[in-house]
Amino acid sequence: MKLLIIEDEPALRTAIQQYLERQGYVCEIAADFREAINKVNEFEYDCIIADITLPFGSGLEVVKELKQMSSNAGIIIISAKDSLEDKLHGLELGADDYLTKPFHLSELNARINALLRRKNFDGNTSINFNEITIKPASKTVFINERSITLTGKEYQLLLYLIANQHRVITKSALAGHLWGDSYDQAGSYDFIYTHIKNLRKKMLEAGGEDYIKTVYGAGYRFG
Amino acid sequence: MKLLTRSTLYFLIIMLPIFAIGAGYLFKKFDKEIRHETDEELINDKIQWMRYLDTAKVDNAVLLLKTPEFSLTPTDQPIQQKPKLNGVRIYQEPEDSYAPFRELSQVISFHGHNYLLVMRKSQIEKDDLLKNIIHVMLLAFAGLLFFAILFNFIISKKVWRPFYDTLDKIRHLQLSKTVIPQFNKTKVHEFNQLNDALNSMTTRISQDYTTMKELTEDAAHEMQTPLAIVQGKLELLLQDDTLSEEQLKAITQSSDELQRLSRLNHNLLLIAKIENQQFHFTERTDMAAVTDKYLQLFDELMAEKQITIESDIQPANWQLHPALADILVSNLLGNAIKYNMPGGSIRVTLSATTLVITNSSDYTEIPESSLFQRFKKQQVSHSASNGLGLAICKKITDAAGLNISYHFQSPFHTFTVTAIS
Repeated sequence: MKLLIIEDEPALRTAIQQYLERQGYVCEIAADFREAINKVNEFEYDCIIADITLPFGSGLEVVKELKQMSSNAGIIIISAKDSLEDKLHGLELGADDYLTKPFHLSELNARINALLRRKNFDGNTSINFNEITIKPASKTVFINERSITLTGKEYQLLLYLIANQHRVITKSALAGHLWGDSYDQAGSYDFIYTHIKNLRKKMLEAGGEDYIKTVYGAGYRFG
Repeated sequence: MKLLTRSTLYFLIIMLPIFAIGAGYLFKKFDKEIRHETDEELINDKIQWMRYLDTAKVDNAVLLLKTPEFSLTPTDQPIQQKPKLNGVRIYQEPEDSYAPFRELSQVISFHGHNYLLVMRKSQIEKDDLLKNIIHVMLLAFAGLLFFAILFNFIISKKVWRPFYDTLDKIRHLQLSKTVIPQFNKTKVHEFNQLNDALNSMTTRISQDYTTMKELTEDAAHEMQTPLAIVQGKLELLLQDDTLSEEQLKAITQSSDELQRLSRLNHNLLLIAKIENQQFHFTERTDMAAVTDKYLQLFDELMAEKQITIESDIQPANWQLHPALADILVSNLLGNAIKYNMPGGSIRVTLSATTLVITNSSDYTEIPESSLFQRFKKQQVSHSASNGLGLAICKKITDAAGLNISYHFQSPFHTFTVTAIS
């Protein structure tokens, strides 16, 4: 899978690039609007991650250009602007998702994952991790071909963990993913532990291996 | 009182003495004219009589005439060359009153004897004249009153129309709208001056507003970008397998604090945006759906704390921006959970016009002075609190024309949001 990261901040760009490359993506970068336009015209990408504010132009113009070319690439806008108009405008132009800075790299990765799955297979594919099989179309999970019943939150959690497999994921990233903007209302991330515990228990009962490792002081790691 | 009503009233008050003076002046003028006419007639009559008397005999019956209008009485007074004219009042029997008369008197000589000739003419019209003048004046004044009111109405409809148009535009002025209304040229100089002043004022305010809005957005951008970089770097650092538990803990804590900083920044910008009225309040939001959404979203949080929830959600459609409705409900409900005690309770009641959220808590009453103030954390500061939640709620309700109130009855804290319709 080939991605294009359009971001003018070098430090952020490399952080995104490093994280995504470790997840197995081929990443190309564009540091400004002109470079971005050149690259999208020349090469095919599966997914494009675009910042809005760029030197020489706007990321939204890149989105427009892509739509004019009737490109099939998924588009995720990353912007520090979280005004509703910008968000709606971006989505209207044809972007598939919108992420406000600062974001967790694991969240960006999970979104890219979900987007690519939707785009390339219309969701009709299964996600496999050893004995675990997930069918996103029906939101069902199988361990060794035996179906297990998960709650909505547990299902989301599992998808997120698998997408960010082998990575340390903080509790706040998980909370942010599961509850969105309002997770900071909670006051603590304790409730994450309950979900993890239940998910782990259900998978173990079905004969699966214990992939969810607690990383003390930080969070969790899958696989 | 309307400006026009006021000016009309002043006009009428000034007109009243003018009419009175006018009436007096007219009366004097007419009175003089009538007197003059009567006097001329009397003199004319006298001349006729003198001619007649010149040819009359000594025993003429005229010498016996004694009427109020004509009398000839013998007198010892010397002959007068000129007649005397003056006004007298004479008793009238039928009316039992005195009536005004003009009187001509002259001592004349008739066949060697001196006689006093007195001739009178009734001036009964004089009284009528006064009455008539007062009548006419009153009628004119009534007419003036009627037309003044009529013109008042017409003028306020027509002449003041540009003024009311301008007023209406100012009332509906919304700076967050991209199109700022122009105050058009009118036929009236003063209104043009007003509109010109308003045009330059709104343009200036609009520019300031845009600058402020851009500053808000730019500040967000400028601050969120470095935050995003640090966030990303910390997350990458976390992936290093050689780190000790202590180091991992330090990184995670830094990352969490960074997010707190980011939320703080976000919330401050949100307050600025609400204060700048960057949200339109013409949109309506289904409050029942919003409340239900957050009750579901926070379900686990409440279960975690073993909080019992009681809710009564009725349909409610409020004039509130959907994004702000989300923030309002999630802040209030989030607080109700955050500051609740384990095994406590929350009651949420939504009716067509009010949202009431009551929660039990170990915390004491929030002093009114710091209730909706920024960064006024209640008692022992809560690590996840940034001290802006209630301040934001207050800003939202203020901007949307809602009312928020707080009530404490140990151990229950109640927040009530009322949509004033």
